[in-house]
Amino acid sequence: MIRLKDLTKRFGQRLAVDSLTLEVRRGDVFGLLGHNGAGKSTTIGMLLGQVWPSSGEAWIGNHEVSRDRSKALARVGAIFEAPAFYDYLSGWRNVEILAGYSSPVTRQRLAEVFEWVGLSGREHQVVRTYSHGMRARLALAQALVPDPELLILDEPTNGLDPEGIHEMRATIRRLHSELGLTLLLSSHLLTEVEQLCNRIAVLNRGRKVFEGGLEEVQRGQDWVFLETDAFDLVVTRLMAEGLVVGSRDGRRIALASGVPVSGVVRRLVELGHPVHAIGRETLTLEEFYLSLMKEAPCS
Amino acid sequence: MFLNQLRYELWKLFGKKRTYMGFAMFFVAQVVILMVFRFSRASRGMGDLLETNGYDITSFLSPLTAACFTNFWLAYLLLPLYGSLVGGDLVAKEAEDGTLRMILARPVSRTRLLLLKWVAGAIFSVVLSLLLGVTGLLIGLPFFPWGGLFAFVPGELFAVFPADAGLWRYAAAHLLMSVKATTVMGLAFFFGCLPIKPAAATIMALSFIFLNFILMNIPWFADLKPWFLTYHLNLWQQMYESPIRWSRMGESLSLLLGFNATFFALGAAVFGLRDLKS
Repeated sequence: MIRLKDLTKRFGQRLAVDSLTLEVRRGDVFGLLGHNGAGKSTTIGMLLGQVWPSSGEAWIGNHEVSRDRSKALARVGAIFEAPAFYDYLSGWRNVEILAGYSSPVTRQRLAEVFEWVGLSGREHQVVRTYSHGMRARLALAQALVPDPELLILDEPTNGLDPEGIHEMRATIRRLHSELGLTLLLSSHLLTEVEQLCNRIAVLNRGRKVFEGGLEEVQRGQDWVFLETDAFDLVVTRLMAEGLVVGSRDGRRIALASGVPVSGVVRRLVELGHPVHAIGRETLTLEEFYLSLMKEAPCS
Repeated sequence: MFLNQLRYELWKLFGKKRTYMGFAMFFVAQVVILMVFRFSRASRGMGDLLETNGYDITSFLSPLTAACFTNFWLAYLLLPLYGSLVGGDLVAKEAEDGTLRMILARPVSRTRLLLLKWVAGAIFSVVLSLLLGVTGLLIGLPFFPWGGLFAFVPGELFAVFPADAGLWRYAAAHLLMSVKATTVMGLAFFFGCLPIKPAAATIMALSFIFLNFILMNIPWFADLKPWFLTYHLNLWQQMYESPIRWSRMGESLSLLLGFNATFFALGAAVFGLRDLKS
């Protein structure tokens, strides 16, 4: 559905996105994760033809965005952090105007979408009177009216109160389950991405440091937690025997390829080291993310 | 599709209160100038001028004369102000507010969007100029008897026309005034395509106009007048000359058409290269 090939953006001397290559498959809820300034919004800007890439290509379906923007965006909806509206016009008119730049809009379609996002009865009020939550729903309405296949959400829960965040997350799940949309979601909130996405890419200073399924993340590579006396000594001995290839935090070891946990336990017992606890690690996304950031720290 | 989208642009433009600031200020200014003219010694001064030149004051001290006199000054000073205010807002205000980014997430090209906005701005300019003519005339009706048109600019213009000829010249002058308003709007529109605040776009356009006006009025630059934009912007004034210099009119119109096309093309080129970020 989305393919980015070596996409790069420089703003003067600053490299905002560095040779980014990734793929979002049809039906994915794909999370673009990274700290503020990691390049998420610039990437989305390039995907929507709002920011010109310095090099590389962004494809939506079979259309390259820079060359064939109108066709590429024909079935795309987008929601931005702090969506902007014509505050002096009604919600209905705002959606009619914004969606009307994609294709002609019928009253019936507008009414359906206002019903779906839960703004029925408030659609003819001026947007100036809307709460943050209502504005978020209006943003969703304008994105949904042209019947998109792909929805791009740039930090959709920023600025919302906890209730609004909960509601937006529930709506994002409905967009996927009820409407079958492919979703690209950018966020710096790890819990949000963990709750909503099936695949993620992590950006750090404009570079992709990870792309894969969330299950892959949770499997935690080959880290095994180990509680024993004299951890460092144990690690040294196991590394010397080729059973372990690394350690961290004073309680985690990385097993060499093909070495089972039971093999490590047996050897530790043979060496006379007590094993208080051992098991495969299930990393949270937060732990995984932080480990990635440690490997490629921000300046 | 284009007309639908133009309708959206007009909804946005005419839905804003500040769009009506020009209409409201023109109306207030017209009322004030006409009242001062009617109830002060100013009208007597104009009458003296007419009588000195052998014309009957009662035939020419009319709503047409009063409206022409009033609108002369408004067209010189306030029309560029409100034209550039709206022109500067069309792109720059939407960029500042973030709504431009919402629109450009749609499959609409930047050039098409600019064209829609420019046409909406041109419609505003035409409506503003024509309404200026209509309200000027209507406000004068209760205070002056219907009669001929006397157009006077010290050192530049002295012309009298019977009522019917005066009316069509007045109407045509306001139609041409809309070309002036559209051009000033187009200039501010161009500046609004640069990555600057809407107020800056308006100020830059006004500065450009005022600079032209100043240069044009420096006596030693008299020979260079046709090189200045303001010289051509005042083509509406030609409608009060007798006989009308059609060649000058054609020259100014074609140059203004060229200026408008250039402003739009430059604006589109600059806007097309911009990165739009939040």
